[in-house]
Amino acid sequence: MVALLGRGIQLITLDDVSKRYPNGTDALRDVDLEIDSGDFVFLVGSSGAGKSSLIRLLIREELPSSGRVWVDGQDVVRMKHSAVPKLRRRVGVVFQDFKLLPRKTVAENVGFALLVTGHSGEEAREETERALALVGLSQRRGHFPDQLSGGEKQRTAIARALVSRPKILIADEPTGNLDPVTSWEIIKLLVRVNELGTTLVMATHNAEIVNALRRRVVHLDHGMVVRDEREGQYAA
Amino acid sequence: MRLEYVATTAAQGFWRNPVMSLASTFTVGLMLLLFAFFLATDRGLQAAVGVLESKVELALFLEDDARVSDVLDLRARIEADPAVSRVDYVTKEQAMARLVDIASKRPDIQIVDTSTNPLQASLEVKLAHAQDAPRVTAALREEVGKGVVSDVVDNPQVVDKLLTITRVLSFGGLAVLAMMLIVALFVIVNTIRIAVHARRDEIEIMKLVGATDWFVRWPFILEGMLVGALGAVAATVVVLIAAGPVMGAMVNFIEILPLSFGATFVWQLVGSVFALALAVGGGGAMLSVRAHLAK
Repeated sequence: MVALLGRGIQLITLDDVSKRYPNGTDALRDVDLEIDSGDFVFLVGSSGAGKSSLIRLLIREELPSSGRVWVDGQDVVRMKHSAVPKLRRRVGVVFQDFKLLPRKTVAENVGFALLVTGHSGEEAREETERALALVGLSQRRGHFPDQLSGGEKQRTAIARALVSRPKILIADEPTGNLDPVTSWEIIKLLVRVNELGTTLVMATHNAEIVNALRRRVVHLDHGMVVRDEREGQYAA
Repeated sequence: MRLEYVATTAAQGFWRNPVMSLASTFTVGLMLLLFAFFLATDRGLQAAVGVLESKVELALFLEDDARVSDVLDLRARIEADPAVSRVDYVTKEQAMARLVDIASKRPDIQIVDTSTNPLQASLEVKLAHAQDAPRVTAALREEVGKGVVSDVVDNPQVVDKLLTITRVLSFGGLAVLAMMLIVALFVIVNTIRIAVHARRDEIEIMKLVGATDWFVRWPFILEGMLVGALGAVAATVVVLIAAGPVMGAMVNFIEILPLSFGATFVWQLVGSVFALALAVGGGGAMLSVRAHLAK
């Protein structure tokens, strides 16, 4: 019942959003998008279709040229600069290139997210263990990134994104650097994270995965939403 | 843990690039040394000016036949000037008594005959501020030849020179100090810029996971302050070692002036040096990180 209540609440809303870069490129055009709490959404489209721009708007790395963006009830466009860190603590992000710190161990990379947001060392240790257990990396906590496989690196990045218990996890091409088998492991992990209640937005080029999972698919083309299907395919 | 994080990150930043860190520490130390020297010199000269000012006197030599009532009248007029702190009336007899007294202490002066008194009575004018000496002297010179005052004698050259030296040193010192300050700031900004560059991935991730700008800045500000503080320690050590000999040389050079600094002044000096060091170090670092975060 609690899970049911949790679903259906709008967590992300884009209202008539356009983004034009100073060089004149239109990255997004009149995008309307609503993502509910608990959703698993694939963002698909060719390179340059606007997926990454959309993701950058959600974590307020960029502002739209026009339109409004709400994330977890907050007006992202009009929020004060000082409110941005709190937004980002509620939105975890993982990237294709993992963005791990090479001189820190797996546990340090994950705990880092809590330490730099003002949590105590004790809290950081506890939550790090929880996150590492979730992604199945408890045994590797003392390893450095260059001692890990690609899949393990991505799992470390996912643990880091989840350690602050965000409502939303955004994955920008998380399997882009991984072989098919490892990609599936990561996808399974993300599905599990979603089932535990985290809303998932994933930009991807991986048609096989999109087609197999049959989740919501938002197709971007030249900055516009050309398709939005509940149980969609990679290509129409 | 927050503090521990900030402190360890700052220390790591300092030692990760020791050459640059030590170079900027050296520059800051040099700047602070100049600052300390400037403060001490300024203090010494202020004391010297103070001493000389308290000795600034104009002497109005009086006609032998001047009437006492005219003299007292003149004295009252001079005393009315706010620049004047005191006027003493020295009679012919008192002047002679002084001469005898001085002669008794100096074997090279001998008074052969005291039957006549060739010395003149005088009004000795003490001024509150040396700067007013030229104006007051000029005003009093107009009294010469009116039957009371025969001559006005002043000794403004010494004070004038000292005031000039003080001014030149103040402006020159400030100018040199300002330049050093800019150089020190420049070096610190660059040191921290390198530190920021070395940690740019870390900063990117910090911002991504929701660290506040202050949390990103503090380790760098602390690193800048560390550079400043180490420079201050170096400068203080040099000052304490050099203070004795330098002071000795200065006392010999300026001779009679009482150039001694009490413990209070030494603490003020050390305090000022550290305050400036932390301000320059922290401020420079702040400029550097702000520039990076604004990108």
